Amino acid sequence: MQLLTLMLLNKLKLIALLFIVVPIIGFSQNCTLTLTGHISDVGTGEPIPYTNVFVSETKKGTVSDSFGHFKLTNLCPGDYHITLSHIGCESKKIFVKIEEKDVDLKLKLTHSVHDLNNVVLSSFSGPKTTQHVETINERFISDNAGKNLANITESIVGVSTIKTGNSIGKPIINGLFGNRISIINNGIPQSGQQWGIDHSPEIDPLVANKISVIKGTAGLEYLGAPLGATILVEPEKIEKEPHLHGKTNYFFESNGLSNGINLQLHQYPSSIGWKVNGTYRRSGDMSTPSYNLINSGVQEANLALQLEKEFSKKLKTDFYFSTYNTTLGIISASQIGSALNLKEIDERGKPFITGSGSFDIEPPKQKVNHHLAKFHSKYSIDFSQWVAVDFAGQLNQRKEFDRRRGGRSNRPSLSLDQYTMYIGGTYFKRFSSGLNLKSGIQYNFIDNANQAGTGVLPLIPDYTSHQTGVFTTLTKSYKKSIFEFGARYDHTNQHVATITRDLPIRVERFDNSFHNISTSAGWNFAINPHLSISYNLGYATRNPAINELYSSGLHQGVAALEFGDPNLKNEKALKTTLGITGDIKEKFSFEAHGYFQKFENYIFLNPRGEIRRIARGAFLVFNYEQANAQIAGLDLLGTYQVTPSLQIRATASLIDAKNITEDNTLIYTPTNTFTGSVTYEYPKAIPFIGSKKLENWKITIKNEYVSESTTDDEEYIFFENNERKSFAIAPPEAYNFLSLQSSTDIQFNKTRLRITGGVTNILNTSYRDYLDRQRYFVIAQGINATLGIRLNF
Amino acid sequence: MKTKSILLALCGLAISFNSCSDDDDNDPVIENEEEVITNVNFTLTADGADPVTFTWVDADGEGPAEAVAVGGTLKANTTYSAKLELSNVQNGETEDVTEEIEEEDEEHQLFYSTNISGLSVTYTDKDGEGNPIGLETELKTGAAGKGTITIFLRHEPNKSAEGVAEGNIANAGGVNELDATFDVDVVE
Repeated sequence: MQLLTLMLLNKLKLIALLFIVVPIIGFSQNCTLTLTGHISDVGTGEPIPYTNVFVSETKKGTVSDSFGHFKLTNLCPGDYHITLSHIGCESKKIFVKIEEKDVDLKLKLTHSVHDLNNVVLSSFSGPKTTQHVETINERFISDNAGKNLANITESIVGVSTIKTGNSIGKPIINGLFGNRISIINNGIPQSGQQWGIDHSPEIDPLVANKISVIKGTAGLEYLGAPLGATILVEPEKIEKEPHLHGKTNYFFESNGLSNGINLQLHQYPSSIGWKVNGTYRRSGDMSTPSYNLINSGVQEANLALQLEKEFSKKLKTDFYFSTYNTTLGIISASQIGSALNLKEIDERGKPFITGSGSFDIEPPKQKVNHHLAKFHSKYSIDFSQWVAVDFAGQLNQRKEFDRRRGGRSNRPSLSLDQYTMYIGGTYFKRFSSGLNLKSGIQYNFIDNANQAGTGVLPLIPDYTSHQTGVFTTLTKSYKKSIFEFGARYDHTNQHVATITRDLPIRVERFDNSFHNISTSAGWNFAINPHLSISYNLGYATRNPAINELYSSGLHQGVAALEFGDPNLKNEKALKTTLGITGDIKEKFSFEAHGYFQKFENYIFLNPRGEIRRIARGAFLVFNYEQANAQIAGLDLLGTYQVTPSLQIRATASLIDAKNITEDNTLIYTPTNTFTGSVTYEYPKAIPFIGSKKLENWKITIKNEYVSESTTDDEEYIFFENNERKSFAIAPPEAYNFLSLQSSTDIQFNKTRLRITGGVTNILNTSYRDYLDRQRYFVIAQGINATLGIRLNF
Repeated sequence: MKTKSILLALCGLAISFNSCSDDDDNDPVIENEEEVITNVNFTLTADGADPVTFTWVDADGEGPAEAVAVGGTLKANTTYSAKLELSNVQNGETEDVTEEIEEEDEEHQLFYSTNISGLSVTYTDKDGEGNPIGLETELKTGAAGKGTITIFLRHEPNKSAEGVAEGNIANAGGVNELDATFDVDVVE
């Protein structure tokens, strides 16, 4: 008790002391300090003149001179928040603590010459590499809030989406998707259940903040599938900012009356930095130009927590937790019983089930939960060496509901839980010769278990898998060149318990062991500051995935029975890429990325199998098979800065994917796509209410032309009076897709407001997209107006 | 030092996960396929004619074995009353699908299609809303002839669409749950 009193007394003394001391400090303030700064372009290093510099605390501002310099005088010691904004640049907010002396800052902004319609080339902002890397920044993601991961990555040339309606989509990068693309979520291989094209990656882009796509065989340092591209999804680093800040984003879409809100809060007091990020989104039934898409609604609630602690200058640790929870409606019209149903819908040209829309989500639907917890620690041994460890656990729960007889619709017809444990260690060393070495070891364990009580034999069997991998990458800069070399080895063990379909039904076990090797070598040569060439050659192998080996059952959405082949061998691929990036007088900038990939034992789902007649009717049997294949393509992008406020942009994505063994086009190959857009940014701030101004007002009109697929017509078989008959469905016709987007910023004293708005499918065009699996049943979404309001505080 | 201890802890965790990972030795649960129809009996009775039962059996459901359909011989110019029974037999357990259809009669309808001239099927049963179900029907034969009768079961058809109540499947929509064809001989 005495001790407590003593402590209290001490505390009181301290408080009293503070009251006395604080005014003294206040009075003795030296308000004659100066803050100077220099603003330059993050890519070229060139100074950025005429940037608005605004100090929230003093409500005063200035403009940088023609050399990018600015000066703020008569500042008192204290904490300041400074906002930099410039036409064509992303506005940037920084925190400065001014003590007893003048401060000089070197600041960098991302300038629009390299900001190709918001898709920043990370070769300018990130580490130099011989790989083709493109990054989608936080602003672009926020401006497109409400879109899923696949639809956001689609803004990169050469990336398309294979989708099931509007809410389910997975990215196709340079013709590859699914098991050939690895998604690295915050450094950890995303462990979702990517069994089919109707399974979307379980990631909220708003929670992620930053998305990069490495198009080459680059992901050598990541456990996964280095045969195709790698998508890196990263949350932003927590800003070194001792005050509580954040932003909130409300977004609305007229089509489907979709509403969503995202809130991000972050603070970095001296010891621990934290960030919380949450999204809630709800959408009702969407509509096409002619009818509503009944049961196409979505509900989503996601949350992420980030903690960072600096134990010392050398040891940094962060913890990340995210939870992703979604319920996705599958349009009622897409549930069919057999090829006969498909024929009826195809002949009718419109679905049987239409009507007025609602927010209800009934079966058929998917309910997916994905939880990730990750621990990362990095220790800098000295200025040239560091080690890092990662430990992560993931739980993915997928439940799929169908329209079922006998009141079973509320019971999932597929219920799978997948647990994943990941452990990785990385070592990095920079040698004095300019050589960088990165090496690591990784282990991943997956346990996939069907949950009992579905009343349906599982499509994917129960299994466990152990994967161990090691890698080394070397990078060396020499004069104007960068050389890269990397190699990786993985060993995978699969223990699988399948259930046979022939009678008597029994359990059959398989134990597989696979070895995979990947190597990659590249060269980047900067001919001059305005032109550089990169070349990359890679070889990679990939073992067949569980669904390719053992899937077994009815895939109602496509009137097909899908069967894996337990005898599939490793797929091997040789890929070479050539990239050229450059600009002419910073007015015209361009980027070309050509690739050629040759496959041996390419695994694909062959729809030209035999026919099986079951109770529901006739079904095509889709078998996973192997063939030799090749994919060649070219991604082109060019922008022309007509005036500082007018930009023209054009892209082309050309692809040719062949099954050499059968001499036809590979199914689900994206079609050639061309886009053209014009962006106008008003050069000055527009006076708004009172002293408030609309800054960076910008409008973009964009047209996308998607050409017709060159794949063969799909043939379906049905029986009429025991006679075998067939009908064919041709790939959909080419279409144009016109959209408009506009945005502006308003600076308040301490907060900054951003308003975005737009219209997609302005002409309300009726079209079907080859890569949309619901095209068999319905036309695509019609006109859609979007609105976004974002407040940074 | 701290890194070392973290690394050690991680290794420990890795080992413990590795060792607990062999719990997949338990056999997976073999679900009873509840949605499947494995047996169909179509029984026809008439005054002055022998009763006939068409049978359709697909014991392995969605498995590789083909269904076996056995039709029969009908008497020309005769009115039969027909009854359809469907069931799901899995591992010796029988589930009455007819009962399920009766319970959800408004969500189901059977359709009969034939290429035998003069043969017609009319509904004799009604669901709660007065629309036909098709479990009970009247089958009329005309002149002698040979052909097939196909029975379709549709889940969630649009019963109010044009012609559906009269047995025309074209505008019905819904999901096919049965598509069974029988060879039928109509004799004098």
